This record gives sequence, structure tokens and C-alpha cells, in this order.
Amino acid sequence: MSETRSVETSASDIETAIEQGLKELGVARESVIVEILEEPSRGLLGIGARPARIRLTTAAPARPASAPESAPAPAKPAPAKPKPKPAPAPPPADSQPAAAEDEEDIDLPAPVSESDMDEDARVGLATLEELLAKMQVEAEVVVYRAPEAADNDSPWVLQIRGRDLGVLIGRRGETLASLQYITRLIASRELQRRANIVLDVEGYKSRREQILRRLAKRMADQAIQLGRTVTLEPMPPYERRIVHLALRDHPEVTTESVGEGEHRKVTIIPRRR
Amino acid sequence: MKELVEYIAKSLVDDPSQVRVTEVDEGASTILELEVAQEDMGRVIGKNGRVANAMRVLVRVLAAKQGKRITLEII
Repeated sequence: MSETRSVETSASDIETAIEQGLKELGVARESVIVEILEEPSRGLLGIGARPARIRLTTAAPARPASAPESAPAPAKPAPAKPKPKPAPAPPPADSQPAAAEDEEDIDLPAPVSESDMDEDARVGLATLEELLAKMQVEAEVVVYRAPEAADNDSPWVLQIRGRDLGVLIGRRGETLASLQYITRLIASRELQRRANIVLDVEGYKSRREQILRRLAKRMADQAIQLGRTVTLEPMPPYERRIVHLALRDHPEVTTESVGEGEHRKVTIIPRRR
Repeated sequence: MKELVEYIAKSLVDDPSQVRVTEVDEGASTILELEVAQEDMGRVIGKNGRVANAMRVLVRVLAAKQGKRITLEII
């Protein structure tokens, strides 16, 4: 086995990033394995936009080079279109920025009226509305049960809707995480127990979840084909959990988080047979 | 501008009457000084400063809207 080389690149879409990487390595596309570290996302109104990040590894000569590549490649039919499409496949979720609000954007469950909310939802909603007002953010909050269907203990979702809400999401969802943390803290204090609520902004989390699930599946395929552990980008706890859950029942890989704090990331490990 | 911090702090402490937020203006940037009762310090700081940091992140949203730099100090 000759030694393998690898390079990581990022660009506004996956195809461009791959081309850059190929140039850097000076090899043909057939001789590399493409790992998509992060799918591109244009965020909401440009805020929270992320480039595509990929890793190219020269394949060992014994390996049929085209096989491993076939998995991630079709995900990005970018060259067919003149403009690089920043968002991957499912258009209903990702291709709609916040501005297209009045059209059928994100598929949200029907909101619940105040009389049908329990105490958690009511207190959470009041707290969140107060916080938003003090932050001088104009937005509407709709409330519904998370459609997890697991049990009737699924959390209430406080979905924040409105224009220009990118600021409420922040880089890697940091602002949204802080807003949720403070809202829960205040509501839980008032309720004197853990408030069963989660926050979202314009369906950001649901979209992110879809992207992460797809990423997880594809990286699992990579791990199997490479026969070695594949490491994903650092992610916040909530996002790592989505990846772990997506692969929990996968027969051929296991997952594990490694690293500390902000650098903690998921690794996908092929199972030994 | 201080209302946000005041609201959060008062909602988290045992003694809201001792919550005080002072705005110190320094041209383009503003410092928000948060004072709470000694026994309540832990509540507004949190484990590893988690509460304080979350407050700072939210203050930043407000700061961005006003085109200012706002720093939050707990004293």
C-alpha cells in the first residue's frame, strides 16, 4: 500500500471545494476519496452562513477508487447549474430564507392555542416574549408539541418567527442556544422544576437536523468503505446527539464523541466483524 | 439597554431588590455593570460562567441592533 495523502478545503459549494482539493493534490478525481466534513449552508439572510468543507484522501491503489467516491458525489449536482446552489437536496426546508415567510416554508406542526398549553408552555412563552421584547426583537412565537411521537412527554417547541431573525441564531446557533438556556432557566425557576421546552428560530433546528442526519449516513458509508474511523467537525452537544441518534441502530458502525468543550466531535467507527 | 440584563438577573436571584444595573457610557462602547446580593452571585454567573456568558451573548444581539459595543461586567 502506498502512502495516502489528504487535504482539506472549503468553498461555497461542495463541487468547488473538491476541485480546489484536487488541484492541491495534483491528482484526478477518480483517485481520491471525498469526505464531506460540513455541508454548505447560507444561513438566514447571510448570517450563520457556512462554506462547504471537505477532505480529499488519495485512495490506496488496491482500492477501486471510484467506489467510495460514488456515495457523496451525487449529493451535489452543482456543475449542472450555472449558479452554485448553497443548499443541498430537500428544497422545502433549506432553500427558503426567512424572507419567504408567507410561502409554505418550513413544515411546522399546527400551533396550539394558549388554552391548550400546559404550565410549562405558558410560562416558557411568557418568559420568551419578555426576553424578546427586552432584546428589541420583533417576532411572533408559536407553540406546539415536538412531533417526536415517542410519548406525550415530548417537549413544547417555542418557534420564533419573523423577519431578520438571523441574529437570534448566531454562529453555529450560539445565540439560539443562549436564548434557550436563559429562557429555560427562568421558566424552570418559576415552575420549580425543569421546564419541558425547547426553542427554535424559523425552523433552523429542524433544517439542521435534516442536514446532520444526511451527513451522518454519508459519513457512515465512508467509514465502512475506508475501513477506518471518520471524524466529523466539532459540533455543539445538541447536534452531536442528532448524529449519534441517526446512527444508533446502524449495523456496521458505532459512534463516539471525542475532544473537549468546543472541540468535541463525533467519530464514526466501523464495527469489527 | 439595561432592561434586558435587569430582567434576567431579577428573574434568577433570590433577592431581586438588590439587583442593580448601571450603564457606563464610553463613547462607542457601553459597559453594563450588574450588581446583585453576595449570595446571588452564583446564580447570575452560573457553573463555569455559563449564565453570565449566555447573558453576554444576548446582550450582543441588542448591541448589534444599536451599532454599539456593550460589555457586561458582574461586580
